[in-house]
Amino acid sequence: VVEATRAYQFSAAHRLHNPRFGPAENARIYGRCNNANGHGHTYRLEVTIRGPVSPDTGGVEDSQRLDRLVRERVLARFDRARLDDLIAPTDGPTSTTEVVAGLIWRLLDGALPAGRLHRLRLEETPNNFFELERNSVGR
Amino acid sequence: MILLTKRVEFCAAHRYTNPRWTDEENQRVFGKCGNEHGHNYVLEVTLQGTPAPETGMVMDLKVLKDIITEAVVDRFDHKHLNRDVPYFKEKIPTPENLAVVIWELLEPRLENCTLHRIRLYEDGTFFVDYYGRRGPQG
Repeated sequence: VVEATRAYQFSAAHRLHNPRFGPAENARIYGRCNNANGHGHTYRLEVTIRGPVSPDTGGVEDSQRLDRLVRERVLARFDRARLDDLIAPTDGPTSTTEVVAGLIWRLLDGALPAGRLHRLRLEETPNNFFELERNSVGR
Repeated sequence: MILLTKRVEFCAAHRYTNPRWTDEENQRVFGKCGNEHGHNYVLEVTLQGTPAPETGMVMDLKVLKDIITEAVVDRFDHKHLNRDVPYFKEKIPTPENLAVVIWELLEPRLENCTLHRIRLYEDGTFFVDYYGRRGPQG
């Protein structure tokens, strides 16, 4: 079993704001990320799949189609977009990178065989990044 | 003469649109950059100067950082460039135009040294350089 990781990036705008809270509470919780007109980032995404090495291709199973899946299911939606437009209430209260990472996990995990997706790392900036790993946090 | 560079980062949203063009023209020229999106900008400010004999420094880096923070970072960081920065009511917030406005904001605030270059990275693969009106050879 081998883990294979590919890195991608996308540019997106967002604003952290929970409509259940008033303006003062939002400003206190989210600080400058609550700026009324939003702001944005160059997000960096690492996708790790885990599985046996295919005797036919020499690559981890499904690695050949990973790029296409990430492009179609993630980059096509998230690049040059406003993340707040993509977050459903069931995803979370607002477009924090934790919530966005959870959504990306769901989009990719549903398109791969069970257990293939192993880890996601989403970097909002080089200093702030968030990771989801199978079998941690109940996934 | 020494060249000294200080690097800072800021995160901002923007979109490219020319109000004098039709939607089709905007789409043709700017494509997906017409949508709201954002970047982690990295700004490198390069000064040219002579180390002062008493300090050995071209400029106190803390003073330089404070100037860049007040003039540039506080204006742009966690902002929407089109909506929050008056300069971009008229101009399209490309890195080219951002570099020019950053030069204009910083240059008058610097004493005893010369602003040599503004280098602005939009992401890890793309940056612009601006050397003021005099150009790169000046």
